[in-house]
Amino acid sequence: MNVQETPAEQQFRAEVRAWMAAHLCGDFESLRGAGGLGAPGYDAALAKRWEQQMAAGRWTGLGWPQAHGGRDLPLGQQIVFHEEYVRCGGPGRLGHIGETLLAPTLMAHGTPEQQQRFLPGILAGTTYWAQGYSEPGAGSDLAAVRTRARLDPVSGEWIVDGQKVWTSWAHESDWIFVLARCEPDSTRHKGLVLLLMPLRQSGVTLRPIKQITGGSEFNEVFFDGARTEGSLHLGAPGQGWAVAMYLLACERGASTLGQQAHFRAELDSVLALARANGAARDPLLRQRIAQAALGLQTLRDHALRVSGAPTDVRAASIAKYAWSNWRRNLGELAMDVLGSAAESVSADPLRQSLHQLWLSSRADTIYAGTNEIQLNVMAERALGMPR
Amino acid sequence: MDLALNDEQQLIVDSAVAFLDKSSTLTQVRSTSETGDGFDRALWQEVAAMGWCGVHLPEAAGGLGLGLVELALLQEQLGRHLACIPFLDSVVLAASLLRTLPGNEQTQALLGSIANGERVLALAMGHPDVDQCLTARANANGAGWVLQGHWPGVGSAQLADALLLPARTALGECLLFLVPADAPSLSLEPLQALDATRRAADVRATDLQLPATACLARGPDLAQAWQRASCLAAIALAAEQMGVAQACLDLTLAYTAQRQQFGKAIASFQAVKHRCAQMLVVLEQARSAVYGAAAMADTDPTTAVLLFHAAQARMEATQAALFCSREAIQLHGGMGFTWEFDPHLFLRRAQLSSQRLAPVSWWCEQVAAQLLDENHALAECLP
Repeated sequence: MNVQETPAEQQFRAEVRAWMAAHLCGDFESLRGAGGLGAPGYDAALAKRWEQQMAAGRWTGLGWPQAHGGRDLPLGQQIVFHEEYVRCGGPGRLGHIGETLLAPTLMAHGTPEQQQRFLPGILAGTTYWAQGYSEPGAGSDLAAVRTRARLDPVSGEWIVDGQKVWTSWAHESDWIFVLARCEPDSTRHKGLVLLLMPLRQSGVTLRPIKQITGGSEFNEVFFDGARTEGSLHLGAPGQGWAVAMYLLACERGASTLGQQAHFRAELDSVLALARANGAARDPLLRQRIAQAALGLQTLRDHALRVSGAPTDVRAASIAKYAWSNWRRNLGELAMDVLGSAAESVSADPLRQSLHQLWLSSRADTIYAGTNEIQLNVMAERALGMPR
Repeated sequence: MDLALNDEQQLIVDSAVAFLDKSSTLTQVRSTSETGDGFDRALWQEVAAMGWCGVHLPEAAGGLGLGLVELALLQEQLGRHLACIPFLDSVVLAASLLRTLPGNEQTQALLGSIANGERVLALAMGHPDVDQCLTARANANGAGWVLQGHWPGVGSAQLADALLLPARTALGECLLFLVPADAPSLSLEPLQALDATRRAADVRATDLQLPATACLARGPDLAQAWQRASCLAAIALAAEQMGVAQACLDLTLAYTAQRQQFGKAIASFQAVKHRCAQMLVVLEQARSAVYGAAAMADTDPTTAVLLFHAAQARMEATQAALFCSREAIQLHGGMGFTWEFDPHLFLRRAQLSSQRLAPVSWWCEQVAAQLLDENHALAECLP
């Protein structure tokens, strides 16, 4: 147990800071402090170039094994990177789904050919991935997926028909991993396959969904005879559920560390506003502000405590439940600190960002497994309570 | 940076669990707390023999030379078992203050007698703010002192060999006195405790004559040590609260697994599962906060940083203990309302602990002041 930064971590922090100062400038200046996709005025094309710049500086794949081109850094240094990145004004990251969800799953379940084909593009920031899990009839009950996949005996390709929904950033992605039913009479967790499929093809139609934030990170994705190569199933056909679950544990676990680094910046903006507009004199708001600051420290401590088991589904569910509820509370606090000024939408960047925080945080306790699903997972898999 | 237990720390936990499961069962706790004076002296002897009373104290003072992390690990298990020993008052509170004071032979000897369990000391630390504890007057009398006043609800006072009592002079200076428990002119009135596993007494001094050597510390030295010691003690108290929360979850899981209604175990109902899972979340968050705060305290940080982490541990652990003990009663149904079932023992402890060393609202206000009012000094230590 060691809560202090090691000399290696301190040196690493200085390295991150120096690199950011030297590179987050010039063309990239406008990205400083920018949110992610869906934030007002986010320039996705520039953000992709930024990801490639990051890759050139070897700041992608920090936790990946060296055999796959990563740096195999311990979790402490990864946390240092994310913190320092945000502190230096680094913009919201674009390659999250590929780098922290698909890549570890490819390493665990992919063939060497798949790894050699797809990992370099993820690492280089040239290939972006979307996640094809939820469907209109399969949300929390993911095992109810109905999207169909069949091998075409003529071409040897997989042919996919069906529909996905809540597909984040599909409109900016090149590829999608699709959970589909490959055994026609199968039900539930059996007979599924996880396919790697190019998004930009005639068999795929995207339709953006307008969210309560006013933006559109999510899409509906329609497959109508969409195709991918016969070899591009991740894991064995019929065994897709286990692979999909491995990826979900990544999604709820260590992959959110980068996201959490932004929480500090969001808390800071609430603190600054409270000092400026007099909310800091309200005794009840003072209590809630202190609770938010202390709770953020707990999220960090929790990540440091369970770091040894990044894909442990129990630890992941606890962490996901905790951080999403923390941020949702912060959104509510932000609105109460804004007070009556929250009633009107304005061009003021601070007010805009707090409105975004408040609205976008309502999704945090829904996506990647709702609060209720996380509680089920914890009860049954961490506490061993009967189904 | 990491907050996982190392092998030695895991060994401390495992051996503490094995020992207390055998030597401090809830049957024994009930027997000690309902009939005797609330002090399991046999347990104290064994605990002292294992070195627990000096786990966090320097080897020079007869301790094991480990840190607050290791003390917290023991506190967690003592809380989980509701062990009827004055560990919090003597080993956590009194020793934390004595070791934080500028050292001398007298305090060193006192620490030694705490570390080997030979003496039990009770410190009248009702609040982390020493000014709020100065309810008695000290008047110089020749070379010595005369104490006059009272100290309400001093933990383990009636079990202690000696008391550590703060007082103020006519000029407002704070002083700390060592007073033998059997001193004439000192009266102890035991309180009938809401939590019978914890004892406390109102202490009164009427023209109590003390030699000059009874004054252990004074002025800014004492005020600073008091503040730091209260933060260290708050983290160790939080560890105990976390143990209470763990016990409540354990009890509830065992009960709901065997209790049948509608033809099946009630643990299979989602309404019950979700409550248990929420208990798990607050408990695990509290554990992370306590380990993180204790590990931070062991790096000897500034008082502002120490206070932030103590507030964090107190907030998370108080919430965990209150939530889990209340849910334990609810999920035991009617049985949870009976004296015979154990959840109420933990509800009592959770409530009592939530008010010791100031309520969470006080800690949060200290943090708010530093984040919002005072040069935003604490903003630097936010993650």
